[in-house]
Amino acid sequence: MTLRAYVISRILLTIPMIFILLTMVFVVIRILPGDPVLAHFEKNVDPALVEEMRVKLGLDKPLWAQYFDYVFGVFRGDLGKSMYDYSPVAEQIFSAFPATLELAISSMIIAALVGIFLGVQASKRYNKPVDHTIRIFGIVTYAIPVFLLGMILQLVFGVGLRWLPVGLRMNPMLAAPQGLSIGALHFSTGLYTIDSLLEGNMFKFVESLRYLFLPSLTLGTVLSGVFIRLTRTNMFETMRLDFVTAARARGLRETTVTYRYALRNAFLPVLTMIGLQFATLLAGAVLTETTFSWPGLGTYVVDRINFRDYTAIQGAVVVFGILVSIVSLVVDLLYAYLDPRIRL
Amino acid sequence: MKNIKAISRMLIVGIIIVIIVIAGVVGYYLTIPTTPAAKDTLVEGTTDSIETCLDTARAYDFFGLSIVQALSSGLVDFKPGATGSVNDIIPALATNWSSSADGLQWTFILRQGVKFDDDTEFNATHVKYTFDRGISINDPDGAFGGVGYGDIIENVTVVNTYTVKFYLRIPFSAFLSLMAFQVSFIVDPRYAPFDAVVEYDSSRTPRENHAMGLGPYTLANWTRVAGKETEIRLEANTRYWDASNGLPKTKNIIIKFYSDATNLASAIRSKQVDVAFRQLQAVDIQDMMTDDTLHVWGGTGSFIQYLCFQERYAPFNVTAIRQAVGAAINRTTIVQTVFLGQAQKLYSMIPIGMSGHTDAFLTLGDPNYNKTRELLAPLGYNETHKLPFTLWYETSGHYPQSADLATVLKSSIEASGVISVSLGSAEWASYKEKRSRAEMEAYIYGWYPDYVDPDDYTYPFIHSSGGGWLNTNYSNPQMDTLIEWARGNTSATTRDNLYAQIQNLTVTDSPMIPLYQGSAYAVTDPKVKGVYLDITQVWRYWLLYIEQ
Repeated sequence: MTLRAYVISRILLTIPMIFILLTMVFVVIRILPGDPVLAHFEKNVDPALVEEMRVKLGLDKPLWAQYFDYVFGVFRGDLGKSMYDYSPVAEQIFSAFPATLELAISSMIIAALVGIFLGVQASKRYNKPVDHTIRIFGIVTYAIPVFLLGMILQLVFGVGLRWLPVGLRMNPMLAAPQGLSIGALHFSTGLYTIDSLLEGNMFKFVESLRYLFLPSLTLGTVLSGVFIRLTRTNMFETMRLDFVTAARARGLRETTVTYRYALRNAFLPVLTMIGLQFATLLAGAVLTETTFSWPGLGTYVVDRINFRDYTAIQGAVVVFGILVSIVSLVVDLLYAYLDPRIRL
Repeated sequence: MKNIKAISRMLIVGIIIVIIVIAGVVGYYLTIPTTPAAKDTLVEGTTDSIETCLDTARAYDFFGLSIVQALSSGLVDFKPGATGSVNDIIPALATNWSSSADGLQWTFILRQGVKFDDDTEFNATHVKYTFDRGISINDPDGAFGGVGYGDIIENVTVVNTYTVKFYLRIPFSAFLSLMAFQVSFIVDPRYAPFDAVVEYDSSRTPRENHAMGLGPYTLANWTRVAGKETEIRLEANTRYWDASNGLPKTKNIIIKFYSDATNLASAIRSKQVDVAFRQLQAVDIQDMMTDDTLHVWGGTGSFIQYLCFQERYAPFNVTAIRQAVGAAINRTTIVQTVFLGQAQKLYSMIPIGMSGHTDAFLTLGDPNYNKTRELLAPLGYNETHKLPFTLWYETSGHYPQSADLATVLKSSIEASGVISVSLGSAEWASYKEKRSRAEMEAYIYGWYPDYVDPDDYTYPFIHSSGGGWLNTNYSNPQMDTLIEWARGNTSATTRDNLYAQIQNLTVTDSPMIPLYQGSAYAVTDPKVKGVYLDITQVWRYWLLYIEQ
């Protein structure tokens, strides 16, 4: 199979996957007990108003009609209206998405860097004290609840040392970075680090990094455990292969042998794991965001569950699902590109 | 040759890195903001949020109405430290007022020279517009509908530019308190359309996102991400009618929103915020009381919690059983164990510190297990045949420490030896639904008042019409008559007498049992002054300041 054929078949497979996900989310939300419309009102309310709201939200229609409305809506980018405040859910989700994306990217960078570096070090000192220490670190970080680690870091670096902020996305005294503005043209990404650079404001850039650091470190550290274990095992096996021995025999430096030759080969399973860990990352982001008052999708989901805002929960799950599908697709394609055997 | 190439490549990379670092450092120092003098800006942290919008036609939540109060003014107000008495009501947009002998007409003389933040002059037509609009919209989520303004006010008439007259449908003794309630604050017709609620829209300016304009502050920023606040900035309104008295005391208020009490506690401890208000956990407040770097402000709270009984079916359709459970409640344990002493034992639906309050429920005991056993014995319940029931509580954090409260209540009631309690829980949305469907036989509920008057602690609970939303199915014509007399009487002595009777009858019928009254707490940097926590539950932003 050519790379192009593989890409096409992989994309085609993603479509039914997303379709099944949409159907499952719709069914699960609908079979939950309780009436979301009735739950909206604090006091007893005129039944006519309840009915009016039901019509407004499209809940008066038969289930199959709701289903088709919902599926066609998703394909048009319409995730329905919030049952809590009647605002478009898609708008709400995409306003929170940049915060989650920024946290996800920085956490994944920390997880990958810490995980791969420590994994390599452990494999090079196999069964020695350094290896044991790193393995214990890996197990502990894998097992520790993300909110607990977050609170420990807050207490140490925020409350105790006061080096880093304990929550939020930006210094309260500063306005959110606006991105690039040239005349009437305006461009912003919603990622504070990028937007502050686009704005040309280094102070805001440093502040946004300060505010990003603790949540990213928390989530990144928790995720790094998996990468440590995987890198260590793969590196240990790779370092014993003939081409590594040959490279050493040619007199190459050990750093070059390790990072340029061995790690490149041991990296493929780690790459797969990055894709698989993306779902874990989003789940972790829910708790991390709540711990650090980070106004992203995770906080949004928690809030909406409390309000039993079915449309919002449904929308968020769909977006999470689509994101995971896209990341899996990208990882698979990258894998196929790096390792031609996949396409065989 | 290869080495030279490698060295020059590294050199180029090194130079580029150095240039980037230098540019970054220079850029950093050039963009350090010239921050306003610290005393001009105060940062508050909260876990609250605006539930709907900043339009009195719909806003009906504590925090939303606190912001409304910062952005507008009412005809009258409560003075700081008020107890809810009529004597605590002070002039605001009205300088003088009077009522007819039958209590059906109220005339207000308005302050002259008052301007909205858009420079429009305030007059009597704005008052009429505000009430006509709110009653006409009658939003199901709002207080105009919830409190029933339309059932109280028949008509608002402009007598002249600075005189307005309210014609009431019923004599309503709490009318001045109702006028001091934030929902009665004046809206600006230029921003508040008559037939629509001003809702949040991220594409509009902050000014266009609220309906007010006569308050000590203007809204400089209101950011919502995914339907929840991330920041609100208030700036002093230079046209504020009371600006000549140096109000507001702080020019800029920045409000930041935290996702939970733990994070808010960390924020105030790490000095990320100057003020932490609503909601900190009791254990954190207790800890902060001994922290020299913080100041804990305490005050009377107006929040109460109570135990409701479903009278539609057994076992609580029998008065003696309701009384028996009421007699088995140990409020000392609730206050000390659950709230670490940061609450008060409550023996009436009318809170402590409010006119008309009596400790009526003390007659049932606290606890009096002998009474419980005596009341249940004739009904066949004893140590071997216990009265079983399920006690429900909510799990969404809508009320403070609900699970702890339910657990303590269970053990307190079971200590009688003749009652067996199972616990049932539901998240807030389901909980409300179960209440509406009368599915819970006993359930814990709570109340923040709308207007500060005993009427707001009786009519919405134990009047057969006003208390319908609680769905306890309690109804007593004698109680209805007493409450209607009390709400229509303007004599303080007569009202106190009537409320004493109402409270005694509440004990006799025991449709619900008061449990505790919450205390209000705010934690600040020691330099922050001007915090007033009283029973009116008004959070006065305009009095807060940082001492130099």
